[in-house]
Amino acid sequence: MFLTRARTTAAGCALALSALFTLSGCSLLDDSGTSASSEGGGGSEGSGQDAQGADADIPYDVTPLLKPGKKYFGAAIDGAPNSMKGVDTYTAMTGKKPNLIEYYAAWGDGFDAQGVRNAWAEGALTLVSWEPFDVTLADIAAGEKDAYLKKYAASVRKLNLPVVISFADEMNGHWEKWGTKNVTPKQYVAAWKHIHDTFTDAGASNVIWAWSPNIVNPVKSVELEPYYPGDGYVDWVGVIGYFTIEEDNAYDSVFGPTLDEIRTFTKKPTLILETAAEPGERRRADVRNLFAGVEADDDMLGFVWFDHKKRADWRLKVSPLALKEFRRLAADGSFGFDVRKP
Amino acid sequence: MNRSQNHHPPQPREPYGEQRYGDPRYGDQQYGEQQYGDAYGDPYVDPYADPYGERDSSSWFNSNGQSAQGYPQEQQGQQIPQQYVPGIPEQRQREDQPTYALHTVEETPAEPSYHIPVTPEAGWDMAASRRRAWVSRAVLLCILLIQTVLSLRLSNTAFQDEALYLAAGHAELDHLLNGTPLPIDYAAYFSGSPQLYPVLAALVDAQFGLTGARVLSLVFMLFTTGLLYSFSRRMFNERAALAAAALFSVVQSTVVMGFFATYDAAAVFLLALAVWIVVRTNRAPAYAVLLAAPVAVLAVGVKYAAALYLPTIVVLALLTAWPYRGAKSAVLRMLLLGLGMGALAGVGMYTTDLLAGIQQTTTNRAHGSDSAQFLLQRSAEWGGLMFLAAVGGAISYVRRSRMNESPLAQRLGNPGWRWRALMGLLLCGTAVLASAYQIHLGTVVSLFKHVGFGLLFAAPMAGVGVTRLVGAHFRYPQLGIMLWTAVLCLGISQADWRFGVWPDSSKMIRTIQSHVNDKGHYLSSTPEVPVYYLREKTDHSQWQSVFGMEYKAKKGKYYTGDEAYRAALRDGEFDLIVLDGITNPRVDDVIAGAVKGNPHYRLLADVPWRNSSGTGTYRIWIKTS
Repeated sequence: MFLTRARTTAAGCALALSALFTLSGCSLLDDSGTSASSEGGGGSEGSGQDAQGADADIPYDVTPLLKPGKKYFGAAIDGAPNSMKGVDTYTAMTGKKPNLIEYYAAWGDGFDAQGVRNAWAEGALTLVSWEPFDVTLADIAAGEKDAYLKKYAASVRKLNLPVVISFADEMNGHWEKWGTKNVTPKQYVAAWKHIHDTFTDAGASNVIWAWSPNIVNPVKSVELEPYYPGDGYVDWVGVIGYFTIEEDNAYDSVFGPTLDEIRTFTKKPTLILETAAEPGERRRADVRNLFAGVEADDDMLGFVWFDHKKRADWRLKVSPLALKEFRRLAADGSFGFDVRKP
Repeated sequence: MNRSQNHHPPQPREPYGEQRYGDPRYGDQQYGEQQYGDAYGDPYVDPYADPYGERDSSSWFNSNGQSAQGYPQEQQGQQIPQQYVPGIPEQRQREDQPTYALHTVEETPAEPSYHIPVTPEAGWDMAASRRRAWVSRAVLLCILLIQTVLSLRLSNTAFQDEALYLAAGHAELDHLLNGTPLPIDYAAYFSGSPQLYPVLAALVDAQFGLTGARVLSLVFMLFTTGLLYSFSRRMFNERAALAAAALFSVVQSTVVMGFFATYDAAAVFLLALAVWIVVRTNRAPAYAVLLAAPVAVLAVGVKYAAALYLPTIVVLALLTAWPYRGAKSAVLRMLLLGLGMGALAGVGMYTTDLLAGIQQTTTNRAHGSDSAQFLLQRSAEWGGLMFLAAVGGAISYVRRSRMNESPLAQRLGNPGWRWRALMGLLLCGTAVLASAYQIHLGTVVSLFKHVGFGLLFAAPMAGVGVTRLVGAHFRYPQLGIMLWTAVLCLGISQADWRFGVWPDSSKMIRTIQSHVNDKGHYLSSTPEVPVYYLREKTDHSQWQSVFGMEYKAKKGKYYTGDEAYRAALRDGEFDLIVLDGITNPRVDDVIAGAVKGNPHYRLLADVPWRNSSGTGTYRIWIKTS
């Protein structure tokens, strides 16, 4: 009798204990407790379709695109990259497919992931010129617009394809809403850093950050360095400058002073983020100077031709002679490459 | 054992066949109960009974089976007490009774007309039989199959310890075969000799990869279970041995160590082999025990912490021989084994350079901050049920030594209760050694494996516990099944959890592989993992961990600790930084803080991971300028 009772008690205890362990298992076993959750981390899985090959499920490594062996041959074309029709026309016209497509987006716009995919499908990187028209940089820096910013960053992260973002360019000009009249360098840098950090926190390592002042020629009094967020926040220094009839058309005259100033505070590679030559007799020479200057400068990654009619008609097609020269120079092997295989 | 089965007094010394039915010794034994009188009344009809008399059974035996008093009969000098049962007092003998004696003498045969066949005291043989051996082996095979399945279902990339030992093994191999200098002095901080297990595992890894190295551990653990069965069987019996093996094969430590390319499986196997030799030679001359000494010392060489269990093996040498060879031989055996181990260990220590590593990783290990309560709780979760079974078995064994249902077992020369108590204390006590030592050190690191080492020793007692729980003749099999199922469920869930503690590193490795070469300097939460997976490109000397750093800045200033990381990152010292956010979160934060806005670095990738406790990310930065 005693043995039977003892056995039953023992079995009861064992069962109770095991039930206790099993039931409380989840919390008891959780002794690492270090579950650093990552916001939007799971989003990377869905982006697999965009990246190539076996590495589809790991974040896209943009480092080979930061300083490729060949020059970027870029263009800003109406409607692109959302519609690649204009790009095809441009390719037929210049004889070379552009591998960097710039488009303009306002603060508050959604991220055009499909446009980036379209460009990528044709071997081109997309550059977003993100312009904060209806928001103050102080608000952005203070985190007032974080909901939009985080959503945007998550979309970029999810896309998992390289994207160049140029935020609030021409900040050293007085003509922009975010220019020197309305924004202090400190506010500008704070807003830039906040945006960069938000993207980094979201894991959007696929963004190439292009900090893009206007050439200093028309605004010589504005120093660039105070507007520079720092090498830790910038991948490329974009330069925006046009060959205009009033100014000397030597490459060094247009870009030289700006590049010289930039080199005093950073060694980051540079890109002519927006350029064109004013139509006219000199245009052919301007084009020649542009190609020669970019090719000769090892730190210059390439250029983006602004093929729009805005304030002036910057489109190549309006100057057949210049276009012919452009076409001849673009045929050079050092310009253009497939960004999918840098 | 049910007491009711055991109510018969010692059995007769002569075969039944030689007993006569009229033997007075049986008068108040076999036939003493009334039901025997009724049921077997006719077959035992007395041959001397009056053929003409009335066959009234009530007149044959009284209620005690005694013959009727007052009518003694003698035949051939022998009394026949059952002939006349006191009947109804009014009944009287018939008139012709006087002729009875004469008649009987002439007619009655000298022997009974038939014999009851010889009936053994128990219906089965206690001794081992071939059939029983094969049945036991078949059950053992099932247990091993279950163990194999449980281990093989685990999956994850290399844990940092596995990666470290395998990479070290490859480096040691390269050093032995080609004379390539070792990237770092592994012996100085390894918790086992880098020339033993790591080299063996690296050989297997070179051929079959990580899974091959893990399967090697599985083989070690399967042999361990097999040896456990073998020595438990010799110490107790098949049933206890099978129960011991069944429990041991499903606990977390066994399942995980069986698919974990670290020293542990090899060390626990060698310990089991040493115990097996000690138990197997318990009836042999004392010096035979010396065979166990090199095996046990090798176990310590493979993993220094195995030394914790050597005293148990030495005492086992004493206890296992005592009942068979007496005190003198047993003590001699113990001394021989102790001295043999000591001598071999001494030689090993002085001929190698392992002492520093032993001190750093095992004896003088840095004390942690895990509380005793936390460690006890963990130990209880990981081995508590099996330990309870062992304690129950030990107590039950002290109370009663008999290990077999056969009544014959009772007369075996079982060891006395003191010996049994010592054995129970030794085996159960060994199970708590590791927990006690880790409470002393205050660290939970590796506790789950060390709990498993202890359970190997407690397992035989747990086996006894299970047999006692189930009872004789498998009276309560459901209790044993419930216990085993509970241990199994805990083992599976804990092993799954354990194998998911570290993040799957495959995506991280694919992310960084194109950025790693043989010249860079890298910083990582777990350098061992990339060093192992990218061993063709890089070696351990290029990698800095997050557990302490010294740095001499470019300006000449010397830094240590967190400041060393900050200064090195200011200088852009590292070409790649890989943080997992889980290995050392505090230092990860220091590094992440120093990288933020750092002009030398850009985020290369955030690689999300999921582990047993939740989710996290690998944060990877690359030097760009």
